[in-house]
Amino acid sequence: MKKIIDFVLRNRLLIIILGVFVIAVGYFSYKQLPIDAFPDVSPTLVRVFTTTEGLAPEDVEKYISFPIEVSMNGLPKLRLIRSVSNFGLSVVNIYFEDGTDIYFARQLVNERLQEARKQIPKGFGDPQMGPISSGMGLVFFYYLEDDTGKYSLEELRTIQDWLIKFQLQTVPGVTEVLGIGGWKKQFHVIVDPNALLRYNVTVNDIVNKIRDNNLNVGASYIEKDAEEFLVRSIGLATKLEDLKNIIIKSKDGIPVYLSQLADIKIGGAIRRGVETHNGIGEVVAGMVIKLFGTNSSTVIGKVEKKVAQINKILPNGVKIVPYYEQKALVEAAIKTVSDALLQGIILVIIILILFMGSLRPSIVVALSIPFSIMFAFIGMQYFGISVNLMSFGGLAIAIGMMVDASVVLVENVDRVKRESPHEPFIHVVSRASKEVVKPIIFAIIIIITVFIPLFTLQGVGGKTFKPLAYTITLAMLGSLVFAILIAPVVSSFLMNNTSKKGKSKHQDIWIVRTLQKLYEPVVTYFVKRRAVAIGLAVGMLVIGALIFPQLGSEYTPTLQEGTLVLRLQMAPSISLTESTRLTSIAEKRLMKIPEVTGVVTRIGRGEVGADIDPINSAEMYILLKPKDKWRKGITTQGDLERIIRKDFGEMPGILTNFTQPIEMTVDQLLEGVRAELVIKLFGEDLDKLKSKADEIAVVIRKIKGAADIQVNQVSGKPQLKIVVNRHSIARYGVNLEDVQKVIRTAVGGEVAGQIFEGIRRFDILVRFKPDFRETPEAIKKILIETPSGVKVPLSQLATFEEIVGPRQITREQNQRFITIQSNVIGRDIGSFVAEGQRAIDAQVKLPPGYFVTWGGQFRLQQEANKRFAIVIPVTLLLVFLLLFFSFNSLKNSVLILLNIPLALVGGVVGLWLTGQNLSVPSSVGFIALFGIALENGMVLLTYFNQLLREGLSIDEASIKGAKLRLRPVLMTAVTTALGLIPLLIATGTGSEVQRPLATVVVGGLVTSTILTLLVLPALYKWFAIYVEKEIEE
Amino acid sequence: MKNKSNWIYFSIGLAIGVIAVYIILSMATTDLAKIKISNKAKPKNKLQVGIHKEVVPLTDKELKEFGIKVKEVGPGTIQLHSELTGEIIPDPTKVARIIPRFAGIVREVRKNIGDHLEKGEVIAVIESNESLVRYEVKSSIAGTIIKIHLTPGEVIVDDKHSVTVADLSSVWANLSIYQKDLLKIKVGQVSIISTIDGSRFSKSNIFYISPIVDEQTRTATARVKLNNSSGIWKPGMFITAKVATTRKTVSMVVNKNAIQIFKGQTVVFVKDKKGFRPQPVSVGFQNNKSVEILDGLHQGQNYISEGAFTIKAELLKESLGGGQEN
Repeated sequence: MKKIIDFVLRNRLLIIILGVFVIAVGYFSYKQLPIDAFPDVSPTLVRVFTTTEGLAPEDVEKYISFPIEVSMNGLPKLRLIRSVSNFGLSVVNIYFEDGTDIYFARQLVNERLQEARKQIPKGFGDPQMGPISSGMGLVFFYYLEDDTGKYSLEELRTIQDWLIKFQLQTVPGVTEVLGIGGWKKQFHVIVDPNALLRYNVTVNDIVNKIRDNNLNVGASYIEKDAEEFLVRSIGLATKLEDLKNIIIKSKDGIPVYLSQLADIKIGGAIRRGVETHNGIGEVVAGMVIKLFGTNSSTVIGKVEKKVAQINKILPNGVKIVPYYEQKALVEAAIKTVSDALLQGIILVIIILILFMGSLRPSIVVALSIPFSIMFAFIGMQYFGISVNLMSFGGLAIAIGMMVDASVVLVENVDRVKRESPHEPFIHVVSRASKEVVKPIIFAIIIIITVFIPLFTLQGVGGKTFKPLAYTITLAMLGSLVFAILIAPVVSSFLMNNTSKKGKSKHQDIWIVRTLQKLYEPVVTYFVKRRAVAIGLAVGMLVIGALIFPQLGSEYTPTLQEGTLVLRLQMAPSISLTESTRLTSIAEKRLMKIPEVTGVVTRIGRGEVGADIDPINSAEMYILLKPKDKWRKGITTQGDLERIIRKDFGEMPGILTNFTQPIEMTVDQLLEGVRAELVIKLFGEDLDKLKSKADEIAVVIRKIKGAADIQVNQVSGKPQLKIVVNRHSIARYGVNLEDVQKVIRTAVGGEVAGQIFEGIRRFDILVRFKPDFRETPEAIKKILIETPSGVKVPLSQLATFEEIVGPRQITREQNQRFITIQSNVIGRDIGSFVAEGQRAIDAQVKLPPGYFVTWGGQFRLQQEANKRFAIVIPVTLLLVFLLLFFSFNSLKNSVLILLNIPLALVGGVVGLWLTGQNLSVPSSVGFIALFGIALENGMVLLTYFNQLLREGLSIDEASIKGAKLRLRPVLMTAVTTALGLIPLLIATGTGSEVQRPLATVVVGGLVTSTILTLLVLPALYKWFAIYVEKEIEE
Repeated sequence: MKNKSNWIYFSIGLAIGVIAVYIILSMATTDLAKIKISNKAKPKNKLQVGIHKEVVPLTDKELKEFGIKVKEVGPGTIQLHSELTGEIIPDPTKVARIIPRFAGIVREVRKNIGDHLEKGEVIAVIESNESLVRYEVKSSIAGTIIKIHLTPGEVIVDDKHSVTVADLSSVWANLSIYQKDLLKIKVGQVSIISTIDGSRFSKSNIFYISPIVDEQTRTATARVKLNNSSGIWKPGMFITAKVATTRKTVSMVVNKNAIQIFKGQTVVFVKDKKGFRPQPVSVGFQNNKSVEILDGLHQGQNYISEGAFTIKAELLKESLGGGQEN
């Protein structure tokens, strides 16, 4: 290792070039890094959507979801297939193992989709893959504002679908633009059934006639003289008139036109979603979805520019109004951490100058920060980590730690230089560097080692905190490279001339001198009276042990996205009209709240691709005044939530809860139900599933510790079931299909081709007049034509039943299932599960083929614990081995390990004093603390050993060593702590995640520094290596 | 000795380390596993399954805001209707087909199609082939000529050359009755006949129902006589008829929207001191507006006539959040 120093000092120019090179490459890497708000925790997932308007959940499952599922089985790296069959929509989620390339996964799915398509009957929809995006992909939402009031909702939707959508899709990085709200324009042929009777025509005749009379054909070419003429026959309907004049039949030369049989007009397509705003009515809206892996802020920036362009070409009075932009969030999150980063750097530099007493060594140390950060950027580029709250947060946390290695080195150079002012400076640098190079390397490697367990985290926790672990590790590695390669070289250039002033060691910097003066008697006191030192340590431990149980525990603090979404859940049987009415009442209530400037609500779903919400759910985006205009006493998003909840009150028949855009989307993509314990009951029959699930719920509720038990509401969608009687139709000689076709066309409507307006195309929908299809009575009267020409009402051919059917059917592992979720309070979840399993076995009799699986968050926890059971001892052993290699002494290693408990105490006290809870970030803080605490001990102990070898007695070595090493120990501790202060006091977006972490580290540093400075010298005697004649290399 | 103490130190160190790290990381793992079950999962106003709310209190303000209306249960009549289709035909008893008595040559035609005739008015003059005497063809009834096959100079040899005179001051509507309606439709029932577009209508009673069902169409025919003095009903016209079939006066009637299916039971939401609660009822007669209540309510009771769905949804509220999986 010492050879490295020699090499470095011999090739100083090379090293400088290397340093500049790293910084340059780092800068360019930074420029290319994607910028996001948070780490993307979405799973690797390909979604297959199939829409079949009008098909009930059971049929969607049978005809669409099942064939798709089956065809996906056995794909490589496949983790899970889950399907949801809703009314008119099938969604098959195909989850791949984390880390699978998304394009690879999509390709696999696409190949298999070809097979699946063959299995789906014609006319039952075409399965399509969802956009290439993730839960963070919904970056920009807008609605269309029409000042003139001239444009109908159909016209606005046409503008959205045929103008805005195509323009926005040309923006690089935009993968999809989905429209919702208003009405999709259609040409409606509203058939009058009485007219059919009058002219003796069937509705299917009309559909066929329209199809046959709406075509352009090409007929090759003819030659005329020397020229060639293309031949084309024009017959495409382009306007209402063309449709009206289609001749359906003619009798005695008198034509019967379509217009005699039907009203033909422009209308809206059947819809499963509505967008409303401010309680005043419907709007047309759209959402822009970002391509997977692209830079959010760049994409949004380009979208904004495009929107400005589009606004110019839109009809007068119509404009695009954004109501949600992820950009604001990205900027806020990055601002929070980059502010903290900058403030941290400034604080650290101030400390450096104070302790080093002059600018030059401070510069050397401070240079370590940009170098380490740039080094980390290169690594981020290599590992594909985006700039986000957590990865940048990691850098902010590491600010103080980055300088530690260099502080130790430069401080030693400074000290040696003061001690031997006449030695050639390059020798001073060399000697001083060599003294500390080994402990530096070990200290940094130990810190990095400590972060190993974080890398083994899986799932959401892993995805959230790995970026942080990566950047801290990378930055520490960078600081190590800087300290041993570049710092000696830079100090040999920069620190040389100060020596000419010939300061002696007695002319130390005043602050250090003062501190040493104060410190020396204290440390002497402790060294002399070891019992007191032990008492101090034990006392602190006791305090920690007393406080620890008082700490509350919470899960991760929710990342505040700055956008509030109020989610409404209505009864599953509700109609879209009613849910729109209720939503508008809710909007009116919200508009009365002073902080709210607007509300934009999406009910149900629009074009498929992102949301698959049923019409009983509404998401209300609440637009707020700027923070400074809020009422007094409301400062945080949480306050505002409470106030809004209070002012908003309860709505009868509606469940409300607050969520946030990204949180909501990610939750939807993540698998399953968010509860500690999820019991899945698999089986065939939906009614049996439901009744058995209810039984299980009753059994589970009796078990001690059970709370919040809920059975998934799978049913609740009323159906009008028309069962065609085979005997009746046989009597009339009608085919079943003929009857069903009429039902479908008459009630649901049948698309009979399209009308082209330029390239815009609109469906022609043939359907009965509302009066003749809107009630069960009317449907019963629909006449079916028999081959003999006789017309029979439907009620004579079929039985009608009003039942409550499933609202959605969920499947996993090729089987239907229903979930029972529960939380567990006040007992160990493992024993709860065991007891529950016994109880279900004993008390619930499941039909053959039905089985229960136990899953949920507790499963993840068990898996994590299993993994940690291996990783933790290994990490610990590694740390211990590293310490042992460093000191060649078990006793020394143990002494250093003693730092850990005291550091923990500080962290716990820190949390307690600031009123925070144990949480994931605070746990990460403890892990970081663990590494930092060891570092300080190592710095001190190395020097004690060195003094001991120089022949001092143990007590002398303890006191002198402690006094001389006061500066580096304090400097590393104070820089680390001060580097975190900005995170501690930050209030911006994302600060709530970083604060507990910073609190723990700062608190822990205080106690561990006390231990290092006071207790460690005292205990050294018992842990010292008895001086032997060691052979130095 | 030294070795031994080394081992002791090693063990102590290892023990401390293991405990410390285990504490930290077990904290970490517990929390990491629970990550994302954030505050929203905490049920606030959700009740546990099985413990159901039974009463929904609502203020007048809320009733107004949500468009919920309250009415009193009272007596009423419920009228049922059947809707039939049919066509207008002339009254067969008022159609006269006038055939010239003797073969001959048409000499004169005095009237044209559409002309109105009085009884005995001369339509045409024909010269008999046998006697070469001219005779007059007269109308046997008062009415309108709806068919005429006589042209001057034409030779009449058979009964194809005729004049049809119809009295259209009243016409019949033939209504097709499908099997399902056969039992409900009875002679004497009032039916409202209207044109297809619904612009004209007139009211009349059914006076005849065919005793047999047509083999081809499997429909029976009901007949209604219509006054046609204004001439709006033209034979051949397609019409719809709304026949008032059954009418019942009952002691308790509620709005049809008030009836809800709640947990498998038919209920009406009634008002009591604490608020609105579901009251199971048994229903009798009903049409598309009103429902007869046989049992479960009493006269004068306040019930929700509009917006009952909102109350039902409120009672089912706790189950709404049950795992909306996507």
